[in-house]
Amino acid sequence: MGNTKLPLAGVRVLDFTWAWAGPFATLQMAHMGAEVLRIESEKRPCVTRMLPPFADDVPGPNRSGYFNQYNQGKRSVTLNLTEPDGLAVIYDLVPHCDVVVENFAGGVSQRMGLGYEKLRQYRSDLIMISMSGYGQDGPYKNYLGYGPPAAALSGFFATMGYEGGPPMELGISYMDPNAGIFAAIAVMAALVNRKKTGNGRFIDQSQLETASALMGEGLMQYSMTGKGPARMGNHNRLMAPHNTYKAAGDADKWVSIAVGSESEWSALCTTMSQPELASDPRFNTPAARKAHESVLDEIITAWTSSRDRWEITKALQNAGVAAFPSMSNKDLANDGHLRERGYLVELEHPEVGRRTHIGMPWTVRQFPREVRSPAPLRGADTERCLASCSATPPKKSRNCGKREF
Amino acid sequence: MTSSGESPSRSEDGILAGISVVECGEGIAAAFAAKMMADLGANVLKIEAPGGDRARRRGPFPNDEENPEKSGLFLYLNTNKRGIQLALDRPEGREILARLLRKADILVHNVAPCERPACGLESDKLARQFPELIIAGISPFGDSGPYKDWKAYPLNLENAGGMAFLAPGASQSPELPPLKAFGDQPEYQGGLHACYAALAAYWSRLGGGEPLTIEISEQECIAAMLELNFMHYTYAGRETSRLGRRILGPWLLADCSDGVIFVACAEEAQWQRMVEVMGDPAWAHEELFKDRLTRGANSDALNLFIKEWASSWKTQELFHAGQGKRVPFASVNTMKDVYADAQLNFRDYFVTLDYPGVGKLRIPGAPARWGSGWSIRSLAPRLGQHNEEVLVGELGMSSAEFAALRQAGTI
Repeated sequence: MGNTKLPLAGVRVLDFTWAWAGPFATLQMAHMGAEVLRIESEKRPCVTRMLPPFADDVPGPNRSGYFNQYNQGKRSVTLNLTEPDGLAVIYDLVPHCDVVVENFAGGVSQRMGLGYEKLRQYRSDLIMISMSGYGQDGPYKNYLGYGPPAAALSGFFATMGYEGGPPMELGISYMDPNAGIFAAIAVMAALVNRKKTGNGRFIDQSQLETASALMGEGLMQYSMTGKGPARMGNHNRLMAPHNTYKAAGDADKWVSIAVGSESEWSALCTTMSQPELASDPRFNTPAARKAHESVLDEIITAWTSSRDRWEITKALQNAGVAAFPSMSNKDLANDGHLRERGYLVELEHPEVGRRTHIGMPWTVRQFPREVRSPAPLRGADTERCLASCSATPPKKSRNCGKREF
Repeated sequence: MTSSGESPSRSEDGILAGISVVECGEGIAAAFAAKMMADLGANVLKIEAPGGDRARRRGPFPNDEENPEKSGLFLYLNTNKRGIQLALDRPEGREILARLLRKADILVHNVAPCERPACGLESDKLARQFPELIIAGISPFGDSGPYKDWKAYPLNLENAGGMAFLAPGASQSPELPPLKAFGDQPEYQGGLHACYAALAAYWSRLGGGEPLTIEISEQECIAAMLELNFMHYTYAGRETSRLGRRILGPWLLADCSDGVIFVACAEEAQWQRMVEVMGDPAWAHEELFKDRLTRGANSDALNLFIKEWASSWKTQELFHAGQGKRVPFASVNTMKDVYADAQLNFRDYFVTLDYPGVGKLRIPGAPARWGSGWSIRSLAPRLGQHNEEVLVGELGMSSAEFAALRQAGTI
């Protein structure tokens, strides 16, 4: 272990992404060992550099946890792409790069002189992915796209909500990182294809389409039965009990419990010290439990609400029943399992010091689960990267790493 | 059969043509990872238990009539694959698996760590036995650590990964529990992460790199997607919650006359344009609504005005009226609306497939436009459809051996 090169060692990625979906895509490439050159605007720092949480609540473009989480292992190059000499640097860099990733709105990259046809003049086997909200063509191509609109349009809000209640929003902008993972797959597949054929490729990815790819089951339900999925809170079409229950402690402690077989049901009853429930005719088949689901939820809540969520989880897991507390950010950051597995990493950052981050989303037996470097200071690598690619620096060579905003 | 926006192509034209993948396990995670590769031209063999994958029993089914060949979830997740039955809990089943893995480039599976020894799927053993094989194993909590043998359904994993605790966004109801999203998202994310990691490993192997053994924890995939929530704690010591208000305004769901609209203005200029779309009402100039933070703080009042205004609109008309002025509205689409969406249809996103006994189904198509090399070439396999083709035709088994396996219930 430790001598194996990371899989994408030697791959260089020119990263024009911005905000959240795009940087999440290039984060996966950096984790896999690619050299990612994050091109940042000199005039307009990435929105995530300017958003809280800032380390110890002190604002600064190098202090945002948001930026520092999703840009680990990358390099930062600041340029002014609206000026010819800034653009010229890009054209000098492209021959040294395998992959270009951008998430401007549809059509913007062409207007900026960064379209695929232009860039491939400098590298004929270039792989480029444009991650836009809706795709490069069609009636919405100029529409504003973010994660939440993609979730609304793909049916995720309409299917989310408590029983009998209105549609609700997801708690995170899920369709952003989702688009990022799909883009990572697209780029890896294009690299594989290039190795075999010698050909580069342009990939037009729509966030709405990557979101809709997760809705196959709901769409099939509509196609096959004429009705889409009903909002059913935490309940399940087939399984019962299947809910998140109030646990003891302060007002916001919950534990999720789901039963998928008769043996799990009987184990739940035994653990609750109510073995007679297992054969109760209201509950002795999945259909019966589904029919008496609200009574069932009351019985379980009566048991959980006076008990600690971890005590419940451990007792049920020991009996072979699926249960887990509803984890907050604090719970995750302090979780022993995640720490032991090397998922949580301590990164030493030149400006914010030592902080806990989420590291690799996978483990690979052949190399250690380590993040190579923290997120870069703004512009920290401009001179070094330009020199290593023999790019002509803009006339006034500017290193913005220390500039305040 | 195919009417996708991409021209139908032969397998050899696929982006991942020539890659051989074996898929084991049940349900969504491994199946979705392998579907991504199969739709790009990889040669995927799906191994099911003799009784069939559990997705076959889950539906949805036409007219709600259960039928293992008509489960919508299964049909969606298993396009372009060949399928065989194989009892991996029997020695002769594991022996056949070994012969298949000898010819494969990638194994993707979602067999839990505690079940792997019985199926011959322990990562270390596999890596020793098949030195060229890339292995991607997906499980709820990974293959190490105190939770590794714990049981979890997607509901538990959305809670374990911290996604449910934050949903629904801006909840005003502390008595209601954290809410799960539709459709078993931890399984999809486990599959997507496994797919990109396995492809990176394959790329590396093509260049002479050592074949990698990858482990994916679905809990960890979800926890990596929590936007800025995790760092709120490690950077500023704050615990985040679904309860409370949005910081920025407007940000809400509002009823229209025939549906629901999502309204959010992240930037001041978007709000200015939204005021124009609303016909520049006097209330929009009140001090209470002067900037996005103030509007957020006064969202109770703001939302009343916006809801009243939105209620007379038709959802689709409001969506386009807003977006036409570059205000990021979005209609809260039902399944029917998703199928009718003008953009998805313009781009020929859906692929129409004709399933025997089911009829025509429009399934989500390519998750990106490739130019060429993504296609649906065949429908999901019927249970055991390729048993004979693979075992007799490719492994060279005699028909007597084949019959004996069937007799014994191994296939």
